[in-house]
Parts: sequence; structure tokens; C-alpha cells
Amino acid sequence: MRGWNGVAAATLLRKEVRRFTKVWLQTVLSPLVTTSLYFLVFGVALGSRLRTVDGVPYVNYVVPGLVMLAMISNSFLNSSSSLFQSKVNGTYVDLLVAPLGAQEMLYAYAVAALIRGHLVAVMVWAVAVTFIGFELSHPAWTLFFSVAVCLTFGALGLVVAIWAEKFDQLAVVPNFVLTPLTFLGGVFYSVDMLPSPWNAVSAANPMLYMVNGLRFGIIGISDVPVLRCAAVVLPCAVAANLAAWALLRSGTKFRT
Amino acid sequence: MRNSAPPLVLDGVTKRFGSRTAVDQVSLQIEEGEIFALLGPNGAGKTTLISCVTGLARATSGRIEVFGHDVVRAYRTTRRLVGLVPQEINFDPFFTPRESLLNQMGFMGCPPDPEWVDTLLKTFALYDRREAYTRSLSGGMKRRLLVAKALVHRPRLLFLDEPTAGVDVQLRQDLWTEVLRLKREGTTIILTTHYLEEAQQLADRIGMIRDGRLLVVDDRANLMNRHHEAAKVRLTLAGPLSRVPEGIQGVLSTPTELEAAWHTPEELERVIARVRYHVDIVDLQVRQVTLEDVFLQMMAPGQHGPAADSSPGASS
Repeated sequence: MRGWNGVAAATLLRKEVRRFTKVWLQTVLSPLVTTSLYFLVFGVALGSRLRTVDGVPYVNYVVPGLVMLAMISNSFLNSSSSLFQSKVNGTYVDLLVAPLGAQEMLYAYAVAALIRGHLVAVMVWAVAVTFIGFELSHPAWTLFFSVAVCLTFGALGLVVAIWAEKFDQLAVVPNFVLTPLTFLGGVFYSVDMLPSPWNAVSAANPMLYMVNGLRFGIIGISDVPVLRCAAVVLPCAVAANLAAWALLRSGTKFRT
Repeated sequence: MRNSAPPLVLDGVTKRFGSRTAVDQVSLQIEEGEIFALLGPNGAGKTTLISCVTGLARATSGRIEVFGHDVVRAYRTTRRLVGLVPQEINFDPFFTPRESLLNQMGFMGCPPDPEWVDTLLKTFALYDRREAYTRSLSGGMKRRLLVAKALVHRPRLLFLDEPTAGVDVQLRQDLWTEVLRLKREGTTIILTTHYLEEAQQLADRIGMIRDGRLLVVDDRANLMNRHHEAAKVRLTLAGPLSRVPEGIQGVLSTPTELEAAWHTPEELERVIARVRYHVDIVDLQVRQVTLEDVFLQMMAPGQHGPAADSSPGASS
């Protein structure tokens, strides 16, 4: 890594944040409403008919998973849609001609993704808090998992935006990979509730560790020991960011 | 402190896309403060060559230096020195012209300078629409915004890649007025255009490229003189002539229409005098050599251009 253009990095970050805040109905309010509906339907309405999970009321149990769902989808969508749109409308030229390295680009897109992911997640959590009250068992672990996951999916969004040639391809990953894996990663249930061999299969799903890591941070329980969650989540974050950095640095599909 | 290295040195630059060679062994030196027109048909390699300098593409081989700095090893330095007005209009629909300029200024590593941004907006007649979304601007306004963006970091070397494509006459005039002002202030300008009369009027030197190869680089006057044989005079005669008078290179298209070639003004005077010796002249149309004549001759199939070049530091 050669040099750091601080002004450029700060400008790109500010631009990326302004981009999603300018269309906040679509980027903030819409996911807030969708995720809050999940909470109201599955948590509050149906949850009252379910017993506790691991000694925790079901409505409380689903909150960390829904917060994680909001973080994953919003951080991914922020970077992927922004970079892909710049590819489509040609404004990526503005970045390519600038004295801007891959590290500044990665920083700006990933941090903007982190900000949007946290903004929506905190609002979803705030909605939940009005129903179930405030609970934050391990603030440091909560912060660790939320930051690591948002940076992971912010970087993955860049990878997908670089790879995608059309909007269809951009939608493939969130629709057919992220959402199913997140749902199957224990947002609405404990893996202990799954019959064999599905509980073992779930262990291969990295989302399981993300959801459970955040669940441990917020309500203090997890299907998986928190250190094992961290041992999966941290390498995922590093790998995703290295992949995005390498692609940006090589100029793949951008710099001919 | 400014260094004395030339604004641009290309040394054996080649760019291949698979088996296709888009730029082939191009060597060229641009002098500080000049306007250099790079001309060639579509697909000749003009934009690819510019892309290799500005960072949109990487040359397959060869050396490119901007003010003495290698564009790969010292890309942060060279990109700060270079501005590009791309051929294709691009705009970010989320931002206003003012925001777009401030963003670009930051990308180029310059701290925000709202005063300078407003000056550019006024210069390019965008100030009244500074807070409108760029998607609502007309095509001409979007084109002007592109030029303003390319200038926002005060580049010393400016590339204009067909900046007047599809714009009206007034905008073209305004743009060239601005280009000449930039030249007076010391900016070195490299432009591509399909409007050859613009290149003829503006450029100090002209390079012609075809199939990725630089065929010729010369100053405008030399280039025109080289092809002076193309100058013609068409004479409408008061009476018929049975043959072309002796000593005149020409043809009688009709007995009262003579088209003759001339090389120097003295020769033109001689042609007129000899014809008048035989018959009166009713009308006379002198057709000067234009850059278009030179261009068409250079681009003709089988034409490989002059082997030698009179410009220092340039070769084909």
C-alpha cells in the first residue's frame, strides 16, 4: 500500500454517506419498516404463542437476529448499488482519474456501508426496545460483531458490484445467498431446535456465527461459544476486505 | 516549484486488447503551453492513448511520463497534474453541479474551495443551476459540467476528448474561448476532435493517428505546406478555351471552366495572368488547402504517412 490520500478518502466517504441519506426513504426507512414488520409479526404476534428459547422470551430472542439481518442487507446494498451505479452511469471515471488508491476506495465504501448498516440496525433495535425494553449484555462484543459484519458485507458488496455486468446479477447475491443464509443462520430459531443433520449443516453457515455473536452481545445467550463466533467472523471480515482491495487495486472490470 | 520536464512524454507506448493492438509503439513529446490536436478516425486509438495517460487504462508496454513522473509508479502525482474531459457524458444523478465539483475537487486531493467552484460554475454558465440535480441539466450543460470538473483541481495538462461532439455552435465557441484562455495561463492542452476546422484554428501542433500508429506529428503550418499541392483555383471564363494554356497544371471541366493547381501565391498570380492572356475571367474561386485535405490524404488506404518528422521529440 503506497500512500494515503486523506482528503480524497474523506470526500468519497462523505459522498457515499450523502448518497444514501439523500434517498433515505428507500435506503433507511424502507428497510426499517420491513425489518420492524418481521419483528412485529414473528416476534410480537406469533412469539406470544411460543415458549421461551434458552430461557429467553421468544420476542426478545429474535431481536438480535433481525438487527443482524438489517446490518447485513443494508451494508451490502450500500456499497454494491453505489459502485455498480457508478459503473453504469460512467462516473467511476471520476475516481479512476483521481490520485486515489484502492485502500482509500475500500475505506470509503466500507465505512459508508458500516454507517448505513448501523443506522438502520439501531433504528430497528430502537423499535424493538419500545416493546421489550432496553437490554445490552455485552456492549464490547455487540460493537465487535456489528462492526466486523458491516465491514464484511460492505466489502463483499464491492466485490459483487465489480463482478456484476447487469442489475440482475447484482440482485442475485442478496436474494439467493445473503437472505437465505441469514434466515438459516438462526435469526428466528436456535440451531438446537433443528433435527440432525441440519443442525450440523448449519455449522457451515458463517451467518450462524454472526447472528449468534450479536445475540450474545445483546441478550447474553448464543448457540455457539462467542469466541468461536469471533474466530469465524474476524477472518471473514479480513478475507472480504482483502478480496475487495485486491480487485480495486487490479482495476478488474474498471481499468482496461 | 515547477519542474522543467515536458508535460508529456510517450515512449514506445503500446496497448493491446487480446490480439488487437489499439495503440502501437507511439512515441511523442508534448511541449509546455501548447495545444496539441490528436486526430484520427473512429477507432484509431486516440481515446485509448489518452486513457493510458489519465489512468483509465494501463499501457501494455512503453513509458509514459507526465512532467517527468511515471504514470504508473507515481500515479498519485501525475493524476493531480492531469485533467480529463471524457468523450462520454457522465453525471451522478444524486448530486447537484456544485456538489459534483466539490466532490471531484476532494477526489483530486484538494481541500474544498467553494469560491473556486463558484468561479467555475459562473465561467461555464452553470451558476444559476448550481443547486439543481445534474440529471435535470440539458446535454450542453452536462458537457460544460464535465469540463468544469476536469478543471476543478487546476491541472497543468488537460485532455479534451471530443469535447464538442454533439454540442451547438455557441457552446463550441464558448468552449474554445475558454481553452484559449487556459492556454494563455500556461495550461498544456491535448484535444481530439472530429471537427477538423477547430483543430486547424486552435492547434499549435497536430498528430494524426490511424490503426493505433502515429502517422505524423508536425506544426500546423508545416503540415499544411507539405500538402500544398492540393490547392486549386477554379476559373469561370468569358469565352471557351480549346485546351489548357501552356505552363498551367489543370483541366478544363467545360470549355469555360478551368481548374488549375497552384503552390505559391506567385504561381497563382501567374496562372491568372496566363489565362487572361487568352480570355477574360468572369469568376474565380480559390480553394485553400484545409486540414481536412491533409487528413483525408493521410488516412487514405495505403498511406503510411511521412517517414520522418520535423518535430523534435516526435516520431511515428
